[in-house]
Amino acid sequence: MNRDMLSRRLQRRGYEVMIAVDGQLGIDMAQSELPDLILMDMSLPVIDGWEATRTLKATEKTKSIPIIALTAHAMSTDRDKAIEAGCDDYDTKPIELSRLLGKMEALLESGGANTSQIRVNS
Amino acid sequence: MSASTKPGTQSAPIALPRDLLHDLRTPLNHILGYSELLMEQMSAAGHEEYVPHLEKIRKAGHDLLDLMNNNLTTEAE
Repeated sequence: MNRDMLSRRLQRRGYEVMIAVDGQLGIDMAQSELPDLILMDMSLPVIDGWEATRTLKATEKTKSIPIIALTAHAMSTDRDKAIEAGCDDYDTKPIELSRLLGKMEALLESGGANTSQIRVNS
Repeated sequence: MSASTKPGTQSAPIALPRDLLHDLRTPLNHILGYSELLMEQMSAAGHEEYVPHLEKIRKAGHDLLDLMNNNLTTEAE
C-alpha cells in the first residue's frame, strides 16, 4: 500500500512515522500525539483529508502543526483548494521523494521541530 | 520514442475526466515508489545485481509519467 511504501522510505531516512488509516483516526492521533508534521492524503475514508485538515486547523491544540496535502490530482486549482482548506503545502502523486523531503524540511525548520516526528495519512 | 512525441510536433493535450487522470496517476505512484524503495533496500543489503532491473522499472514509470504530464489534461468542469 502507498502509506506502507512512503512510511518505509521516510523511516529509512530517520523520521519517526505514525500512520492513521482514515481521517477520523488522523484527527484523533494528531490531537493525542501532536506530531511535528502531517502528510495528509486528501482521499481518506470516513472523513476525507479536506475535512480533517479544516478540523485540525480550527482546533487550538493542533492548528500550528504543518500539513502537507498529498493527492494524485495535479492541477493548479487542486493546490489552491488545498491551501484554502488550511494546508501549509501541497505535493502530487506520484511522489518524488526528494521534492517532498524538501517541503517537509522547510516546514519542520520554520516550525522549530527537532524530532522529525511525522504522520502519514494515506 | 513514439510518433506522438517526435520533435517539432506539438499537439494540444488530450482532455480526460478528472477522476480518470487521478486513477492513472495513482498506480504510477506505486510503481515509482516501490521500485525506488527496492533499489534502496537492495543496495543496502548488498544485492547490487538487482538494481539495474529495478532502475528499468523506475525509468519506464517516469517515461509514462512524462508522457501523461505532457499530453493529458483534465476536462473542463
